[in-house]
Amino acid sequence: MGRIRNLVISLLSLTASASGAMAADITQARSGADSKIVSMRRLTEVEYRNSIADIFGTEIEVRGAFEPAIRIGGLQAASTSVLSVTPVGFEAFTKLADSIAIQVTEEKYRTKLPCVPKSAKEPDDACTAQVLSHYGRMLYRRLLTENEIKSAVSLSQGLAEAQNDFYAGLRYGLASLLQAPDFVFRMETAVPAGNKQWALDSYSRAMRLSYLMWDSTPDAELLQAAEKGDLNTAAGLEKQVDRLMSSPRLEIGMRAFFNDSLELDNFDTVSKDGILYPKWSSGIAASAKEETLRTVIDLALHGNGDMRDLMTTRKTFINRNLAADYQLPFQFEGEWMPYEFRPDSGRSGVLTQASMLAMFSHPGRSSPTKRGVAVMEIFLCEPTPAPPANVDFSAVNDTSGPLKTVRERLMAHANNSTCSSCHNHSDPIGLSLEGFDTIGQRRTMENGQLIDLTATIKGKHFVGAAGLGQVLHDDPKYTACLARKIYAFSRGVNSEDVPASAFKTAHQAFADSGFRIRSLLKSMVEDKDYFSVPAPSPETTTSAAK
Amino acid sequence: MKIDRRFLLRGTYQGALAIMGLPFLDCFLDNKGKALAATGKPLPVRFNTFFYGCGLTSQLWIPKTGGKDWEITSQLKPLEAYRAKLNVFSGLRVPLDDNPNYQHWSGAAAAATGISPTKVKEFDSKTIDLQIADVISRGARFKSISASAAGDPKQSYSSLGGANAIPAEASPLALYTRLFGPGFQDPTKGDWQPDPRVLIQQSVLSAVADNRKRVMQNLGPVDRARMDQYFTSVREAELRLAAELQRPEIQANVTIPPAPAEMVCNNALPNLRKATPLMARLGALALATDQTRVFNLSISEPTSAIFIPGDPLGYHESTHQEPIDPVLGYQPRVAQYNVDAMELFAMLLKELEAVPEGDGTVLDHSLVFAFTDQSFAKIHAVDGLPIFVAGGASGRMKTGYHIASDNSPVSRVGLTIQKAMGMSLDIWGQGSMEIKQPYTDLLA
Repeated sequence: MGRIRNLVISLLSLTASASGAMAADITQARSGADSKIVSMRRLTEVEYRNSIADIFGTEIEVRGAFEPAIRIGGLQAASTSVLSVTPVGFEAFTKLADSIAIQVTEEKYRTKLPCVPKSAKEPDDACTAQVLSHYGRMLYRRLLTENEIKSAVSLSQGLAEAQNDFYAGLRYGLASLLQAPDFVFRMETAVPAGNKQWALDSYSRAMRLSYLMWDSTPDAELLQAAEKGDLNTAAGLEKQVDRLMSSPRLEIGMRAFFNDSLELDNFDTVSKDGILYPKWSSGIAASAKEETLRTVIDLALHGNGDMRDLMTTRKTFINRNLAADYQLPFQFEGEWMPYEFRPDSGRSGVLTQASMLAMFSHPGRSSPTKRGVAVMEIFLCEPTPAPPANVDFSAVNDTSGPLKTVRERLMAHANNSTCSSCHNHSDPIGLSLEGFDTIGQRRTMENGQLIDLTATIKGKHFVGAAGLGQVLHDDPKYTACLARKIYAFSRGVNSEDVPASAFKTAHQAFADSGFRIRSLLKSMVEDKDYFSVPAPSPETTTSAAK
Repeated sequence: MKIDRRFLLRGTYQGALAIMGLPFLDCFLDNKGKALAATGKPLPVRFNTFFYGCGLTSQLWIPKTGGKDWEITSQLKPLEAYRAKLNVFSGLRVPLDDNPNYQHWSGAAAAATGISPTKVKEFDSKTIDLQIADVISRGARFKSISASAAGDPKQSYSSLGGANAIPAEASPLALYTRLFGPGFQDPTKGDWQPDPRVLIQQSVLSAVADNRKRVMQNLGPVDRARMDQYFTSVREAELRLAAELQRPEIQANVTIPPAPAEMVCNNALPNLRKATPLMARLGALALATDQTRVFNLSISEPTSAIFIPGDPLGYHESTHQEPIDPVLGYQPRVAQYNVDAMELFAMLLKELEAVPEGDGTVLDHSLVFAFTDQSFAKIHAVDGLPIFVAGGASGRMKTGYHIASDNSPVSRVGLTIQKAMGMSLDIWGQGSMEIKQPYTDLLA
């Protein structure tokens, strides 16, 4: 009995907090008169998985397929604000919702629920409401409205009664929340911030911070801070930002960012020619992706290092698969071993990791153009326009002719003035990486000729990957591009549309710190304009009023 | 008594369902099962698309003469067995008006929508398969199904418009599970029974759909359209459940096979040769058992990454980099890849033809629209796209013709298809591709 009384009290306190400090904000946000939804981002697969694990625990299995994303301005994150949910995507969300709800209402999980029903064989609206508001708040990243709770409770009630089973009813109420638009989309709501300015409401601030830092839904403390209005004050915001950033979970957030910005998802569909490269396997592909993420995280977070070193470091992590690919001995008991390439290895940062080299190549041949174009887009934020439609590329492929190396053949092609404007940018980069084949192995010869690794960009001469790494390391465009991408990633916008002024302060702090990523992050999210949004267009307000 | 989802829903909310309980639902459904005994309705006409990247080689595929008595060409050789059930279109124009020629995109988008695209990798309208599905799919379990033989869910040329492509099932096993996994009841078996759990799922979806009005508030116009799509998808899920309560009327004598094994699906030609017929077979069975009436199969992206192991470049790179053989007058390796694509197309036709139903085969009761992105990939040419339409649409489409360079826009094929599918439209396409005149000679 005491337990039930406690539960009732906590339920009451839940309701009480709804009418507490932030209630005005919520009511305002839901009433629609003076608020608007400024961004609606479909959860990515990883965000979904992380959110479910955080809300229900890692023992809940998430089995199913997710709709693929597309890349806009170098980031999949930008497409989450553009794409909707197709029938196939919704079907997947429905199945996931049901499977999660089944697991959460199973016998072995029930002790974790915030209340016990009066009887397991009949509806108990109070308990149902308590469970659904508890999880609903975490799923929707805000308190549920009375109507939202009522509707889910009534669904549960009807179905519990029909089946004489409290938990069967609860299951469906929960499933309805798990597939609701409020969960599968992260909806950012803005409210007037005075002076004709608009800014995100506190729940939306919590959401943006949490998905950037942890790639997951706001935790209890962050939600509480949002409810109390803490995120609207500089001191309150800083407290939460520091907390999020000092957590080891920052690693999860940064992994998501680098997986996206380094385009590592492409690796899932890379195929290599099994006859020319029998060594290649899906195991190597998965390992190569992981190698790059480990390298980045080790530098950025564990070592609190200079992000420019990502272009030059010879430090990496290898496992047995990669040792085979890199032709290195592997004498290690564990799975992953830190490794430093020798100074004469020709390796330079992520530029020469198997992931980048293999992703931007043909199935059976390296491609200086693909690699050059990728480096320009990924690290310098300089996308290459599509080539003219009617171009004769035949010279590039004629290996039986007098032009033995791909360099000679590319040069012949790039002499054409229409082509040269772009190739002169991308090819030197790619040609300096020709010391590595399509699966990332070192090589010195091509068709019996020594490969020439010299290149020139904007008057700077350099040799090989190490030379390229140094050029990028010293290029202020590289660090500006990183700042631009992380800003666009967190806001879900096209990086090409972001004005440099938007991340100017953050980039300055980044530079002042010697390019430590924590300084970049902190300065970016604490910037006075980070949560501000443009004033709504008349069209939006009209529609909201409808 | 007629089943009514809204009735049940109201029941749920007022607690009426609670009094009825599940046994009542069972009996309700039993009645329904009987009420829906075979009525002898004609089979629905089905629609398929087949997408292959990088086109063909004009000297090798275009038959010399038009009309009915055309001779099979070397690149169409794989399709010879289906010649009488095939229409071949050559010389179609793809006027792009003021839009750029988006390489490996404009041609495909024009064929699929009748509109010159304004953005790369986006369609300016719903694609033809979904326009047709809107009309013919009511009552089938899935409005449409898309599959990628190369194992990439993004290789789908079925789109709701913009970048919202319908994700493709990316392996035979995934396709099988979607079609014949949980939720499927085999209509070829005598013990077909509606599953009362479907009613419960319906009330859950109704609760989700009830959010609509609230959620649509406060959204800007772009997000409102996206949210509207979300609720359209909810509605489609409701229709799927409604369809699951009815025993499909089928005339095919088929057996649903056990699930295929997991397999590697990628761009390597040997793997495509294994995955394509398996997926085509599952598609044909899905049509025959009325799980769907629209099936889309792709074998590559427009920049076809298909490769024969040992060829360091693969298909797309070869189209641009292989020199034209001065004696032959074409790119020999590319020409081989072209034929490989036609062999994969023939695999789809073979499986559709292999399923007998009613007075013919699934192919006879279908249309198959095969399209591509370029007519001459080397220079990204779009005029003269190689387009094929197979199947008789239950007698509404005459077949066996080569419609030779009559200078029509590619949209004319799309309009003709929709006419044959029984759709009431008089005009299709936009700009210079707006067309009012179908190929009336092909329509029966």
